[in-house]
Amino acid sequence: MSEATPDQLASHGADPDVWVAPTWEQVVRDHSARVYRLAYRLSGNAQDAEDLTQETFVRVFRSLASYSPGTFEGWLHRITTNLFLDMVRRRQRIRFDALPEDTERLPGRAPSPEQVYADTHLDPQVQAALDALAPEFRVAVVLCDIEGLTYEEIAATLGIKLGTVRSRIHRGRVQLRSALAHLAPRRPVAGEVGA
Amino acid sequence: MNIPESHLAQEAITALVDGELTAGPAGRAARHLAGCMQCRMAVEAQREAKEALHGSADVAVPGDLMSRLCAIPFTAEMPGSGPGAMSAGPGELTMTGGSGSWSLDLTEPAPRRGHLSARWLRRGVAGTVVGLGVGVTALVLNLPGDGPRGPVGPAADSVRPVQHSEVAPPAVRTVTVGTAPGAPLGGTP
Repeated sequence: MSEATPDQLASHGADPDVWVAPTWEQVVRDHSARVYRLAYRLSGNAQDAEDLTQETFVRVFRSLASYSPGTFEGWLHRITTNLFLDMVRRRQRIRFDALPEDTERLPGRAPSPEQVYADTHLDPQVQAALDALAPEFRVAVVLCDIEGLTYEEIAATLGIKLGTVRSRIHRGRVQLRSALAHLAPRRPVAGEVGA
Repeated sequence: MNIPESHLAQEAITALVDGELTAGPAGRAARHLAGCMQCRMAVEAQREAKEALHGSADVAVPGDLMSRLCAIPFTAEMPGSGPGAMSAGPGELTMTGGSGSWSLDLTEPAPRRGHLSARWLRRGVAGTVVGLGVGVTALVLNLPGDGPRGPVGPAADSVRPVQHSEVAPPAVRTVTVGTAPGAPLGGTP
């Protein structure tokens, strides 16, 4: 994965000691792909991913004045994941309150596998297996295995303890793997075939 | 250790796969794995799940989303009670807050495709944005004294998006102020 480095924001200035505030367009250009991908992996569909990305950048824009250089990516991860978890919780509440006209906004309106692949270039079955994870596990696994964050960064992003990070990743991966095996029974799975 | 070694803890297996074990525990884990098929399989299962996600390529941001993101300075409501202030100069929008100030270059950067709306917005509305962002919220929140007289008083009933018509040189601009067209989300930083 070719990714923006954590210093990308600052790297637009020639002198690394002088931090030059980027333009809004630069902020969007440098970070939108990362935010959108994260939002997509978490939500599993393009519409929610767009909404989450848009809302994340609105938050960023509103809070730019209090931004201090160096934490931008962590900040983006934190906003995006929190918005996602909020969205999930809100929909769970809605589901319990049973508002019939909102049903089409509930998770489960699955895009077609072709659409998923066209959107994300991720194996649709892998995305479907991700979607099957409990949101808290999904967030931990995505931050670790797709975004490449360290446990410490994940703990900071989600505001949880390191031990919780480890156990969520562990359980998330176990579920992911069994979901994959369930989705594609003929798919070879390690342990069955000596890999 | 004299105690007969039990299997690796699940969290240790995960941490091992992610390279998050320090040298000591990693060495002990490796010695245990050498003689324990069960734990090797557990490690392999974790590794496989990790690799299934690893092939995940970059996702292309839809073009219209890019346009909307770039237009946020012109469409986002600024919280009226938030710390900081905005001011506009020619081709520049500056926000000042507790920990410093942030400038947005509103002049034309390298040409990009599909930015017609952002472009005309950028040309004419620096002043309008400040008027809307600060003025509108000031009007709504601190009626009626100190808001700039500029913006035509927006109805305080928060129908969104709210349309504001505003005279800004050289022509009448209509700017939509409101939360994102997507799902309005609440409650997070």
